[in-house]
Amino acid sequence: MPQVRIVARNFMDMVASLPALKLDKLYENSFICEAILRSLPSLAKKYVLQLLYIDGPVTAKWLEEWVLPDGVSKHKAAVDRLVQLRILTETVERKKEATYLFNSTFQRNLQKHIVHGGVLPRESMPSNITVRLPSLEELDAYAVQQWEFFLLHLINSAEAEKSTNISSSMMKVFQRGLLSQRDDKEPPKLTESGFQFLLMDTNAQLWYIVREYISNCEEVGVDTADLISFLLELSFHVTGKAYNLNTLSDRQRSITKDLADLGLVKLQQGRKESWFIPTKLATNLSISLADSTSRKQGFVVVETNFRMYAYSTSKLHCEILRLFSRIEYQLPNLIVCAINKESLYKAFQNGITADQASIATLHNGKIHLFFFQTCKMQIISFLQQNAHPRVAERTPTVPENVTDQMRLWESDLNRVEMVPAHFYDEFPSKDVFEAACDFAREYGGLLWENPKKMRIVVKAEIFTQMKEFLRKQKQ
Amino acid sequence: MADKQVMKRAKYKSSVKDPGVAGVLKLNIERFVFMPNDPKASTKLNVEFRMITGHKFTKEGSSKQALLNLTQEQGGNYIFEFDSFADRDVCREFVAAAIAFHSEAGKATTENSAALVNSEQLSRAETERRIKLLQENSELQRLHRQFVFGGILTDAEFWATRKKLLDQNDNRRPKQRVALKNEMWTVKPLSDGQSNRVTFNLTPEIIHQIFAEKPAVRQAYLSFVPNKMTEKEFWTKYSRAEYLHSTKNVVAAAAEAAEDEELAVFLKRDDMLANEARRKIRRVDPTVDMEADEGDDYIHLPDHGLFQNETKDVLESQYEPYRRSFSQDLNQHAAVVLQGRLVDVELGDPRSVAEALSRTKQAEVSDEISNRNLEKELSDRISRIAEIEDLQGPRDPAVAPLSIKDPRDYFDSQQANAVKALGDAGSGAKPLKSSVSPREAYGSLTDLVSDIRVMGLSEPIMNPEVALKVLNGLTQSISSTKFHLGKNPRESVLDSLPKVTKEELLHHWTSVQELLKHFWSSYPITTKYLYTKVTRLKDAMSQVYPKLQEIKESVQSDFRHQVSLLVHPMLQALDAAFAHYDADVQKRSAKSGERFNGFG
Amino acid sequence: MTPVSSKLYTDDVSLLMVLIDTNPFFWNSVKSTLAFSTFLSNVLAFLNSILLLNQLNQVVVIATGYNSCDYIFDSSDSQSQTQRVEQMLQKLEEFVDKDESLGREDSVDGPGFSLLSGSLSMALCYIQRVFRSGPLHPQPRILCLHGSPDGPGQYVAVMNSIFSAQRSMVPIDSCVLGAQHSAFLQQASYITGGVYLKPQLLDGLFQYLATVFATDLHSRAFLQLPKPAGVDFRASCFCHKNTIDMGYICSVCLSIFCKHQKKCSTCGSVFGQAQTQDSSTPDRKRKTPLDA
Repeated sequence: MPQVRIVARNFMDMVASLPALKLDKLYENSFICEAILRSLPSLAKKYVLQLLYIDGPVTAKWLEEWVLPDGVSKHKAAVDRLVQLRILTETVERKKEATYLFNSTFQRNLQKHIVHGGVLPRESMPSNITVRLPSLEELDAYAVQQWEFFLLHLINSAEAEKSTNISSSMMKVFQRGLLSQRDDKEPPKLTESGFQFLLMDTNAQLWYIVREYISNCEEVGVDTADLISFLLELSFHVTGKAYNLNTLSDRQRSITKDLADLGLVKLQQGRKESWFIPTKLATNLSISLADSTSRKQGFVVVETNFRMYAYSTSKLHCEILRLFSRIEYQLPNLIVCAINKESLYKAFQNGITADQASIATLHNGKIHLFFFQTCKMQIISFLQQNAHPRVAERTPTVPENVTDQMRLWESDLNRVEMVPAHFYDEFPSKDVFEAACDFAREYGGLLWENPKKMRIVVKAEIFTQMKEFLRKQKQ
Repeated sequence: MADKQVMKRAKYKSSVKDPGVAGVLKLNIERFVFMPNDPKASTKLNVEFRMITGHKFTKEGSSKQALLNLTQEQGGNYIFEFDSFADRDVCREFVAAAIAFHSEAGKATTENSAALVNSEQLSRAETERRIKLLQENSELQRLHRQFVFGGILTDAEFWATRKKLLDQNDNRRPKQRVALKNEMWTVKPLSDGQSNRVTFNLTPEIIHQIFAEKPAVRQAYLSFVPNKMTEKEFWTKYSRAEYLHSTKNVVAAAAEAAEDEELAVFLKRDDMLANEARRKIRRVDPTVDMEADEGDDYIHLPDHGLFQNETKDVLESQYEPYRRSFSQDLNQHAAVVLQGRLVDVELGDPRSVAEALSRTKQAEVSDEISNRNLEKELSDRISRIAEIEDLQGPRDPAVAPLSIKDPRDYFDSQQANAVKALGDAGSGAKPLKSSVSPREAYGSLTDLVSDIRVMGLSEPIMNPEVALKVLNGLTQSISSTKFHLGKNPRESVLDSLPKVTKEELLHHWTSVQELLKHFWSSYPITTKYLYTKVTRLKDAMSQVYPKLQEIKESVQSDFRHQVSLLVHPMLQALDAAFAHYDADVQKRSAKSGERFNGFG
Repeated sequence: MTPVSSKLYTDDVSLLMVLIDTNPFFWNSVKSTLAFSTFLSNVLAFLNSILLLNQLNQVVVIATGYNSCDYIFDSSDSQSQTQRVEQMLQKLEEFVDKDESLGREDSVDGPGFSLLSGSLSMALCYIQRVFRSGPLHPQPRILCLHGSPDGPGQYVAVMNSIFSAQRSMVPIDSCVLGAQHSAFLQQASYITGGVYLKPQLLDGLFQYLATVFATDLHSRAFLQLPKPAGVDFRASCFCHKNTIDMGYICSVCLSIFCKHQKKCSTCGSVFGQAQTQDSSTPDRKRKTPLDA
């Protein structure tokens, strides 16, 4: 089975895939409604607002009328998403006109929200009880440090200085798909997904981990809906304020402990009470996921001579840069590296390992399925997103000659074009073979033929026609 | 245009009655060539079009022959008979174009008026440039064909308004030239290790470089060779001097120089260089560069930061002229390299190279002497900088403040219409002229605000029925505007027209602009030349009217209104031109009552 | 698969500058059709919904008063969502008091004018500051919720603001609440590419706001928004108020005249003599008649 790809944005897919009952129950929580709304594509947000006070079904035409030809695909995506999340219910009547009905729970919650404004999930603790609360900067630093430490541990447990509280079984769960280990002797290697994961921005990484966390909990028998609603609720707490742990259920308390290891919350203990302080990572959870990135400051300067200066003290950054460049010097606050062909090839090789291109044999022994996956380079976008503020103002942030060269190097490796195809063999007679050739040629699907051995390769897209044709030939 | 060629079968006749010689007539923009079928016949022709002043031809239809008669400047003419009128017409058109292309110069001289027309013969390069422009720009080509070949404008007139275009094209021309080698020619004596002989390799390239960098050597070469010594002797001596330099033995060099006068020339410090340096220093801007920063400072480094490997011996002053510093050489070399290759002479002959270099240097010097402005500019600049800004009175820009008496006029003039256009139903029922005291008005406003503070927002904000009604209304208006305005709200009217009409309109627009440009630039009419030009233009303009009318009628009724809206400004502009023309003619005729007709 | 979020900042993050008309004389005149409190609750709900859509969205409210204008709300200042409404209303009350204290007239006829030019300029200043804050900033747009009639005396200032908005590519949306259309706002929306709308049903104001004006700039590329059928921008001359197609324009102050004048009546510039026009009697026979 081909590996599950990492797509950073599909947390909402997971929500959407929840059974209808659970989903409806989720929408009773107004925070979830809010978070879901923020995660929608911009057109969908507009539709929600537009239909907020409409009772009863609305014909599809009412939405479609507004769409310009350029926006048809976006419109479709938006409506599909809304239907998927059961915010709109689509009914197609006999007259063939689709109508949409707004989910009333969702609607009511949002209506309440826009009239009363948002409400906080729980009251923060008075400051006379909580002492020595960290400042926002300290909290940010704590969150970043915690997160990076976790990542470092994730990709390279040997490099990490101290062990994390996260149980090794949990770590294994996170590592699943990101690392591959052929046998115990070899150190585990990053897979393509792992490689992509590291180059994603923090929010996307966070969502990936959270998603893995949720699915892991599901395996242990925790109700995912509860977990999701707690996580989303958490994101509506105010950063830097202290909240009493006693207000949480036992399960939530144990989840909070795990989250503290990821840097989402900071746990503190007072004389009697103990409390948790949400960090920026937690509040970012509900940031619009459709196209989300954080506005963090970059640190990388790429020069036209393929040199890279990374102003960073982070060991993790160093590890990430090592993925695709050669580290030349490491100073206390500066990493100097160079991008060259060898370093990039190494990165590409990490990206496409043998596991990813799978060749499966299918159907009645004669038909083979060629299936490959191609790797898409993310290094450039990583460099662009993490550009140092000095160069971030410039366009392009990464010199064009560098990006072009990197693309060229990549395309060097992708000289082969993959086309899903079927391979036909053992034709009963020359006539049948030639007829099949002609047929395939006519449909523009003939890729390769060998008249001597009577073999052809035909594009997968005309598989059904081909099958039909061959059956007729047999008769 | 340039590479266009026409080739037709034709007979060349010396007169109309002559049976003629059968052959092939080849035409291109420069010349026409006639090759008789019989290779032995002597009637080959090869005539340049600029020698041709006119052409005549027979009318089609009658039983006449298809003839084309080209009149030559000096009198004679060339008559060709073609197989068919179609062939003839193709050639005739081409000839007309070619003649038009070449005739401006001739016309200008024959008309002997003070015409603005460029009277100099067009250089070949110029012609090529124009042709290239026409090839690159199809719209320009279309205009050119329409007006120049149509006889409305001469070629020179057409291009006169496009000088900029030509110049622009011109700027691109200078090609990159190869500079001198960036490498310093250091003498690397090739010693064979056995004998005491030291060999130097000199190539023309190196000689060129030596001449460029060392004016004294150049001077010496010009004066010594070949009168005093041969070329070989000269270079041997030079090499000897260089060798002495490379040994860095100043004392030995001085000694040898004392013995040999000619050698001394090479060994002593180059006076010409020194002069030049002094001259350059004079031209240095004496004002302080306020923008210079620490990065520009190299003074604190000994010897400009170069490693000094010369002996630091204290030398007696008599040897001083024989010392040469590395930095001097380096600077001189850098200056020469930066200057680039000044002369384009074959490198083979050292003498011609030396002479050419001397010439350019002299030209430079004389330029500078004549250019007294430079010094003036410098002193101006010094005095300007020298004044202390703080002590100056404020410099008032010579600007009169704009005083607008009543901005309400603008509002009335522009906005009133806009509201009218919306068919404002409300404007009829003006709000009641109720006079309210501010206290009352503000009071009720504050009350309402505090109401909402106490009560919170009204809930629900909106009745679902109302919401539905509003959404319905909006959606309907959207679908109706979509129908009216096409799919894209930003689409221009032009895009909605059929493609042919659109192109035609655009073409007419450019051609009307071209005509008007020439028309207005001909006023005031001071010469007969301008007078005829205006008449020609006016006739051409009057032909535009029916064409525009034609376009209007050709489009479907849905578009007719839009087309007439587009055509309207063109017509107005043409009308204005005609009005001006008529007024001018009247004035002229009134004057001519007093004086004799026209332009003396 | 596209690279993960190649954009540095979400496309639909908006900065919405809302200019609300607080001219008391206007609100007094429309008491019966649209009470100010109804208007406010609609607007507040709308602001809440904008802030709900994306947590990076920013809303700034400027009150356009009769004598003055001022910022009354900035969502980037306030921490808590609950106090949002309270904060803004308090500021609004203070503003109305201040606005009243600045007035001198004893009584005002009709609805009077509000200081649109002032609040437009303030909005643009704020947007400029946001533009200069760095490469990452939300997409700004201006929404005028306006009811008072146009003040002709503000013409130059308003037009200047409109053009500067056009230059910085900030669309001005306008929602006209009064009985009359506003030529200012019509021009403003037309020039800057915003939406001009005069709601027919004022009860459903929120629906108009949510359907039309909540659309962020990114989505506008895919949607058709209401557009007035056509705007007549022909000018009329200053001297006789006739609508003209061709005329004379003062090169200094751009006043328009239908006949040649010796002196500009607006700015006092002295014009030169037109050259031939006076003696001309166009001979129209020369060309083919067109509109016959």
